[in-house]
Amino acid sequence: METLKYTFPATKKISQRAHVGVVGSGDMEVIVEPYEGAEAEVTVRTGVTGFKKTWEAVIDRFFTQHDIAAKVKINDFGATPGVVTIRLAQALEVSSLDTSVKS
Amino acid sequence: MTQALRASFLECSGRERAIKLLDDGTYRELLSPFDGVESPHLEPQGIVPQSDDGVIVARGTINGQQAVVISIEGSFQGGGIGEVSGSKIAGALEIALKQCKNGIKVIPVLVFDTGGVRLQEANYGLLSIAEIGAAIVALRRHVPVIAVIPGKIGAFGGMSITAGLCSAIIMTREGRLGLNGPEVIEQEAGIREFDSKDRPLIWSTIGGEQRTAAGFADLLIEDDTESIKEAVLYMIKSGAIFAPRTEQVERYEAFLNQLDLSQRLTPEDVRRLWNEPCKKTVGESQSVSENVKSEGRGQTWFDLLRDGAPEISNVPSVRVADALIEETKVRYIAVVPDTQSRFSRARNGEVGLREGWTIAKYIREAIQEDQNGEKRAIVAIVDVPSQAYGYHEELLGIHQACAAAVDAYASARINGHPVVSFIPGNAISGAFLSHGMQAHRLIALRDPGVTVHVMSKKSAARITHRSLEELEAAAKKVPAMAYDIESFQKLGALHSLVDGIEADSPELKDRDSIYKEIKEAIEDIETVGSMDLEVRLTSPLAQDGGRAASILVRKKLNEQWN
Repeated sequence: METLKYTFPATKKISQRAHVGVVGSGDMEVIVEPYEGAEAEVTVRTGVTGFKKTWEAVIDRFFTQHDIAAKVKINDFGATPGVVTIRLAQALEVSSLDTSVKS
Repeated sequence: MTQALRASFLECSGRERAIKLLDDGTYRELLSPFDGVESPHLEPQGIVPQSDDGVIVARGTINGQQAVVISIEGSFQGGGIGEVSGSKIAGALEIALKQCKNGIKVIPVLVFDTGGVRLQEANYGLLSIAEIGAAIVALRRHVPVIAVIPGKIGAFGGMSITAGLCSAIIMTREGRLGLNGPEVIEQEAGIREFDSKDRPLIWSTIGGEQRTAAGFADLLIEDDTESIKEAVLYMIKSGAIFAPRTEQVERYEAFLNQLDLSQRLTPEDVRRLWNEPCKKTVGESQSVSENVKSEGRGQTWFDLLRDGAPEISNVPSVRVADALIEETKVRYIAVVPDTQSRFSRARNGEVGLREGWTIAKYIREAIQEDQNGEKRAIVAIVDVPSQAYGYHEELLGIHQACAAAVDAYASARINGHPVVSFIPGNAISGAFLSHGMQAHRLIALRDPGVTVHVMSKKSAARITHRSLEELEAAAKKVPAMAYDIESFQKLGALHSLVDGIEADSPELKDRDSIYKEIKEAIEDIETVGSMDLEVRLTSPLAQDGGRAASILVRKKLNEQWN
């Protein structure tokens, strides 16, 4: 098991917390919570070791594209980079749901 | 021609299943992922935990009635029950029970998707499952407890016993219900006994259709969310009309006695026999000859403790006798080897079909006889190597036999009988759950031959994809994974660990020491006066860290309940 931590500067707030996914084969769980500070703080725990560079690339790309101030926890059970990106996008969608859009 | 499109329930996650069962807008999750109460035992073993530990507990209403839905997420660690996930289930049921006792009816619905005990947390899972069982047996006196087994994994291991304790079981064709998983039977009994790769064999033996047709489940439904909701509602409304399976001791006893086991029974045979009125019975009508003695600590201690009191059981592998310790009436029950047993997979002292139902029979007999008088103590003498692993065992519902024994011990406890387990030997897995774990107090000998665990090392290694060396290394870090009684003691569930006793060939002084221990345990039960298993969480060792997560989970559930 490996624990990886990243921080990215951020300016935009998210409206609510979000939880998606499951720590099951080829999948992962993401928890996104609003953060008062001006950064995104990402903690990844993964059961598959040796993919630090891949994680760095995927996480870096996502949080460079999406400027959100949040605490992000990822619990991974072998998600591929594609699945990681989809799960993150899904979490972002839930956490940024605008009440005007909701109805 | 209109046909509504089905919305699969099976394909839903554990959380989605819980949301769908509750009335729209009433779902409120307790100890949700944002509370972050995850298993403290996985990370040290290099396993990534999940924020809800794989169990979703949600309050809400079902058709306007207060309910608590407990749904297991099968995708996380095979739905295995660890300390946190197990305590979420047990804790929620315990609060529901308290509410019911205060006149507020809360209907529990359990959605199973679990392989049983999470092997990485072994004895924590075992303790939790005993607590879950205790709560269900008590709850059933107030409300129907509904089990749903939609499928993907199903309900296995100790959790199949849990399902067997529920008021009603709803299954789909995809669902499976059995004590021992196919891989474990193959590992323990060989591929001829059960081929774990043979999927048609698996589903025809333990699948939802067979289980419903052979009397082990109540309702077979399509995998459709609306149908499942309707079925749950139907069961809530009619819950009271079912006679619990675990109490139908005579019917199952007659059912087992009429079987000819010289050939492999087919699933169709079982359906036919279950639905036919019983005709003849074979064997077992004669009472046990006291000259037929088996080997082992169970038999040795049974004979020593009963001290000449006559035996009353008619099944050679379950020894029962009523005796006195000073003025206190005691019924001793021991499971011992029976090398002649018709059930070939249960000849070495395992708890099998006949053992489970026979234990239930003799405990229920004592409850009945003492209904209006002094409640005799029930003492389980525990030396059980495992549950029986076999094709016939699964086909004929060994999980239900185990549930019957669990229910009987728990019912004795609830009815005011002091229940004590004395452990001079092995206390393993489903066998221990069925015979011993429901006791108010556990007494064990400090001896290398006394072990507590959930699965043989070989099987555990196979199921968790680890080598034996890796498994043993993990056991050093997590006391709950170790096999020895001293590690088990650290969890705080033992009432006493007795030193200086000759476990294999005890003498009269050893007997007298154990009499004293049993007597003292019975007095303690009477002094404390509680009917449940709470003492396992309030003991100094449990409070001191042995059950830290179990206690924390219950505390938080209580805070969040209202």
